[in-house]
Amino acid sequence: MIKKKAILRFDSTTVEKPVTYYLIKKYDLWINILQARFEPSLGGKLVIELRGEKKQLDQAFAYLKEQNIRVDFLEEEISWDKLKCNHCGACVSICPVGALKMNRETYYLEFNYQDCVVCGYCTDACPVQAIEIIF
Amino acid sequence: MGKFKRTYEEINEKIARKEAVIMTAEEVIALKEEQGIEEATKMVDVVTTGTFGPMCSSGAFINLGHSDPLIRMQKVWLNDVMAYAGLAAVDIYLGATQLSESERSDYGGGHVIEEFIRGKEIRLKAVSSGTDCYPAREVEAIISKETVNQAFMVNPRNTYQNYNVAVNQSAKTIYTYMGILLPELGNASFSTSGQLSPLINDPDLRTIGIGTRIFIGGTEGYVIWEGTQYSPKAMPVLEKDMVARMGASLALIGDLKKMNPDFIQAAYISGYGVTLYVGIGIPIPILDEDIMRTASIRNEEIYTEILDYSCPHPDKPSLGWVNYAELRSGQIDIKGKKIPTSSISSYAKARTIAHTLKEWIEKGEYFLQEPIEFFPSQRELHRLKTTRVY
Ligand code: SF4
Ligand code: SF4
Repeated sequence: MIKKKAILRFDSTTVEKPVTYYLIKKYDLWINILQARFEPSLGGKLVIELRGEKKQLDQAFAYLKEQNIRVDFLEEEISWDKLKCNHCGACVSICPVGALKMNRETYYLEFNYQDCVVCGYCTDACPVQAIEIIF
Repeated sequence: MGKFKRTYEEINEKIARKEAVIMTAEEVIALKEEQGIEEATKMVDVVTTGTFGPMCSSGAFINLGHSDPLIRMQKVWLNDVMAYAGLAAVDIYLGATQLSESERSDYGGGHVIEEFIRGKEIRLKAVSSGTDCYPAREVEAIISKETVNQAFMVNPRNTYQNYNVAVNQSAKTIYTYMGILLPELGNASFSTSGQLSPLINDPDLRTIGIGTRIFIGGTEGYVIWEGTQYSPKAMPVLEKDMVARMGASLALIGDLKKMNPDFIQAAYISGYGVTLYVGIGIPIPILDEDIMRTASIRNEEIYTEILDYSCPHPDKPSLGWVNYAELRSGQIDIKGKKIPTSSISSYAKARTIAHTLKEWIEKGEYFLQEPIEFFPSQRELHRLKTTRVY
């Protein structure tokens, strides 16, 4: 099983297609709709998480291309649970790009998502599992 | 000069009248610098400290209540984590570092303790060989802090005075209780809350002994004994003309049912195991100028030793000394190399604890307890003489 997060973009010609129905029915995928925004008859976008066997996913993406639906994959990203974080700073010296910084006034951790390269080192370094990689 | 004295009675009377002046161990630094030791001593009654770090030597006694028919529990599991049951029928001790016996290797006693404090339901399983007076051989139940009788935390070793800094000189990454240590001095990890640390603000334990009332896990608790491996030392820091105070620790007690999950947190340290963050604060009565002098110590004046954790022996090679201002700055200098630092204890939480304790005292809800007994100023540390190791 693999997991992919993607944005599907529809235009006026594709907006009526029952795409999620096909993805589930034909390719046996597990679909989670994270965000949907549509203007009837104009188009819109759908942010979804797809889970399934690699072969099925590949076929599903080929199908979407055939249908002229633009697919942009969302890369893995880091999720930092601010409530769980106790601001110890164990992750700070592990981050290779300095995306995790300790504020020397407040002594709270600051996470600069722009700099993060999603290497995942900090997920191992955090003693309370406040950082996770999500897809 | 130096004559000013204050007693516990005077402090507690002022607390009762809500007139006592309380400052955290951070706030008092600026006051001392502005007013000088003599004035600061007269002005401040109590200095509050705090620390929030992983403390493996922690756990809790719980009385589970009797089942019908009765069982004399010989082996007990809470959420698949084994608790020590070699006590009376339904008394157990659950240790923070005990690992779950299910497939999850990142779950253990610390997590059960945190969930208990959060009021969650916990699965209990107990087995016994059965006796005439305790015939049941196996019980299962769902327990929580509402269902059990007494539940109190008893931690044999907490609030280490001043822990060393861990680095790794070897060629490969190592996973230690001080966190992940990158190869070739790739980073440095430290733990003590420095100028906020309880046993650094009263390094001779002049006001801390058996019976001292403390903050533990968000509630009131007490010092019950010297901590295990208690062995206070004053180590000379060569070149700096300083002395580093290390090695004292405390055994503590507190009511688990009254604790607050903001100040107790389970942890899984990658490649090492499960432990528990425990929040502790100790109020230091300003009895005289000497106590004010130590209670107003700054990070710049507190030194600790850098040790190479790639060495598996108890006497790890030293790479010199650093102070907590350097450690907190985010990088230290070792052999001319700039090394990024990480703390595994939370300074932000240590601060919150010192402030919370200050508020309790200001509100007139919390009084200072004079110790019943003091701890020795020296204690030799024995090493295990093994007959076999492999
Ligand atoms: S995933 Fe890597 S780059 Fe991103 S914050 Fe964590 S350690 Fe830094
Ligand atoms: S290691 Fe975890 S708990 Fe500590 S500061 Fe980083 S994210 Fe927060």
